[in-house]
Amino acid sequence: MFNLSSGIVGSVNVKTSNQGGLTNEQIADLAVDKIASISDQAPPHIRQQAKIFKEHLKNVLYHYLLLARREERGTIIQALRSSGQKETAEYIRRL
Amino acid sequence: MAIAQAMCTSFKTELLTGTHNFATNGNAFKLALYAEGSGGKSSTTATLGAATTAFTTTGEVANSGTYVSGGLALTKVAPTASGTTAFTDFSDLSFTTATITAMGALIYNDTNSDKAVCVLDFSTNKTSTSGTFTVQFPTADASNAIIRIA
Repeated sequence: MFNLSSGIVGSVNVKTSNQGGLTNEQIADLAVDKIASISDQAPPHIRQQAKIFKEHLKNVLYHYLLLARREERGTIIQALRSSGQKETAEYIRRL
Repeated sequence: MAIAQAMCTSFKTELLTGTHNFATNGNAFKLALYAEGSGGKSSTTATLGAATTAFTTTGEVANSGTYVSGGLALTKVAPTASGTTAFTDFSDLSFTTATITAMGALIYNDTNSDKAVCVLDFSTNKTSTSGTFTVQFPTADASNAIIRIA
């Protein structure tokens, strides 16, 4: 006999933003949630360690996301300046 | 509750008749967003749960930004198993420059008559205003994956 004991649907995580894209912090949260998940059945001390690890991971990701966005903006600004669009370049620099 | 998270009962039956193929070269699946409390198109309210059998526009959120009726296509991750649990996964989905308030979502088979797969309940209204609305799927493992058969 074939017995399908259970079909389960996991929980999704929804992030939203207003007047623009997601913030660095929101993206860091999404990445951390994807990398590390903590089982509800894990012992308390393991859960605590995992929580601390996730916080550390989030801080590292946040820093590099900030850097990546700044560097990407720098590349765009330089491309705009090179093509004579100095006003647009300045506008983006101030973002 | 108007939107209740569930694996659709019709989907379970259709698994046994080979209706759904989650392989990367299999069927196309989509995710559509829904509102409660008359927040959907033409002030409609979504009623979704285990009894849902197919995609419906009743209660679906209005077109905005990159969100269009029917939602967006999901990128599949090939089904696999860990221990005695089989599971499948999708890549995260984002609707950008969108003004959306949604309470839940429906994953359905766009290849096979829009047949329902599962209902996702966000628990609270999630709102984006001229911004990004991202649905992140859980870690693809035997304990968390979006669709699991144990």
